[in-house]
Amino acid sequence: MSLGRQQLLIGVILVALGIVLPACVPEYFIYLLNLLMMYLILAIGLDIVMGWSGQFAFAHIAFYGIGIYGTALLHMRLGVPFILGMPLAALLAALIGYLIAVPATKLRTVYLALSTFAFAQCAAWVFRTWESLTKGPDGLRMTPTNLFGFEVVNDRQAMPVIAVILALVIAATLNLLHSKLGRDFFAVRDNENVALASGVDVKATKVWALTISAFYAGVAGGVYTLFQSYINPDNIDVTLLVLILSMVVVGGSGSLGGVSIGVVVLGVLPELLRAAPKSLLIWQEFVYGLILLLAIIYSPKGIWGLFTRRREKT
Amino acid sequence: MGLFNLILQGIISGVVTGCVYALVALSLVIVYKATDVVNFAGGELVMIGAYIGLLLLMWLDWPYVVIFLITPVFTYALGVLFSRFALEKINRKKTTSSTVLVSFVIATIALSDMLKGIVRVIPFTEEVRRLPPLFSGPPLFLGDLVIQPQDIVIVVVASLVMLMLWVLFGYTMVGKALRATSQNERAASLIGIPVKSVKSAIWGLSAMVASIAGLLLAPKLLMTPDMGNMVMLAFAAAIIGGFSSLPGCVVGGILLGIVQNMVGIFISPQAIAVTPFFVIMLVLLIRPQGFFDKTLAYKKV
Repeated sequence: MSLGRQQLLIGVILVALGIVLPACVPEYFIYLLNLLMMYLILAIGLDIVMGWSGQFAFAHIAFYGIGIYGTALLHMRLGVPFILGMPLAALLAALIGYLIAVPATKLRTVYLALSTFAFAQCAAWVFRTWESLTKGPDGLRMTPTNLFGFEVVNDRQAMPVIAVILALVIAATLNLLHSKLGRDFFAVRDNENVALASGVDVKATKVWALTISAFYAGVAGGVYTLFQSYINPDNIDVTLLVLILSMVVVGGSGSLGGVSIGVVVLGVLPELLRAAPKSLLIWQEFVYGLILLLAIIYSPKGIWGLFTRRREKT
Repeated sequence: MGLFNLILQGIISGVVTGCVYALVALSLVIVYKATDVVNFAGGELVMIGAYIGLLLLMWLDWPYVVIFLITPVFTYALGVLFSRFALEKINRKKTTSSTVLVSFVIATIALSDMLKGIVRVIPFTEEVRRLPPLFSGPPLFLGDLVIQPQDIVIVVVASLVMLMLWVLFGYTMVGKALRATSQNERAASLIGIPVKSVKSAIWGLSAMVASIAGLLLAPKLLMTPDMGNMVMLAFAAAIIGGFSSLPGCVVGGILLGIVQNMVGIFISPQAIAVTPFFVIMLVLLIRPQGFFDKTLAYKKV
């Protein structure tokens, strides 16, 4: 199947589901699906920088926060509509990502991880303390998103919009995957020296990876404002980063299919634990850790890796 | 109290907490040097040490000295188990060196989740607690300055642990094996050093040091399953030493403890939380190799 047709197919399926499902599925599942779609955008972004390019950048959550606050504040303070505000906020995230990437990508693995992690924590601190803008630790109550004159007030209305955004994100990701830049990402991941010798601008490639992933996180932040009505700065923290990281690793980093599986498995897990007789929800963190550990020990390529390995054998 | 005294008092309490940060930084750096793993579960080892201490105190009511001797045994076992059953298995599957490093780090993140998860499930964690003071007695007065006897105990115990590490690495056969392994694994295994056991031992040792730091910290801080977040201070301290120098960790830790208090006095108490991250970014931007000469680091470990 050619790239264009593949993109079209995925797009049509997603948008069709986004329009049909809200009409026939209970409210709660709609919320869960919206959440999963947002996680998927976040996870694809993280995978581009980690799974594709092998760069251990931990600043993802900061860009997500910038996307959330950017979109919400542009709308609430300046009346910028979502259709314009979300891309602007995502671009702002990408710009800050670029500014971070230029010094950070000089650093080796460990130092890159620590410096970006430190940046993410600083950003989280800014969200909590800049009270005049973000209302600080009390959180920010958002006004409903305005889309072409219609107000998006509930999960049902938000779902088709999110499905369209996700379809666009996946189409763009597939394009990136087959572009020269995409191949450069994989080259840098597999061996920097070989990539350099083959004429890949390693430094620029790393900066691109971080910038693009920051843009994705910004888009995910914009999506958040569509179906949530309240921003709690405490939720934009390491726990979320670890969750997204686990989704990428458990599903299978470096492939869209794998990441999608990871998002669904780990996204649905807390609901299963909650539904269990005598709620097992308090075990959630332990179970996440255990799944992550088992995945990294027994199948470093994730659930997706299990399938593809079997296919190669037969 | 005048500003001068306020600063002095800040320095004193900064040195005390700084000693604990230094211990945690040491636990991170010895593991990094020997096994190339950045241990993101370092803070959770501190936390688990504090909680093991709490459980022993509540169930058995043993004196502190015994708890300080027994808790590290548990955490040593934990470190060894993690190294044996997680890291070595990952190492066996390694494809390229950079991806195996990523896998290691993810494994430590998983460990940190599991430890936090376990503590949340056991009883006693719904309430926020703190350990009883290590040593109760009247505070000492030096002019206008107040020194808690507990703080003296913290500094003494931390210094003892540092001294023990220094002797262990510098003057024993075990230490030589550890140093050889961290410098060149292959060469070490060729001359008959059991590299795998050495690596597990290092993990055990690191967990021990972290848990002692936890026991020292728990009477001063509130205990929560999230108290491991203090690890960022240790990371900052370790970064000051270039993530490789043991004396650098000690100096970095104490420096950070003092800087934190000065930020609290001169800037704002809110800014204390963000200090370690700022230090990490600043040091990595200006001098990623840290402020301690490589040769000095080489000699010590």
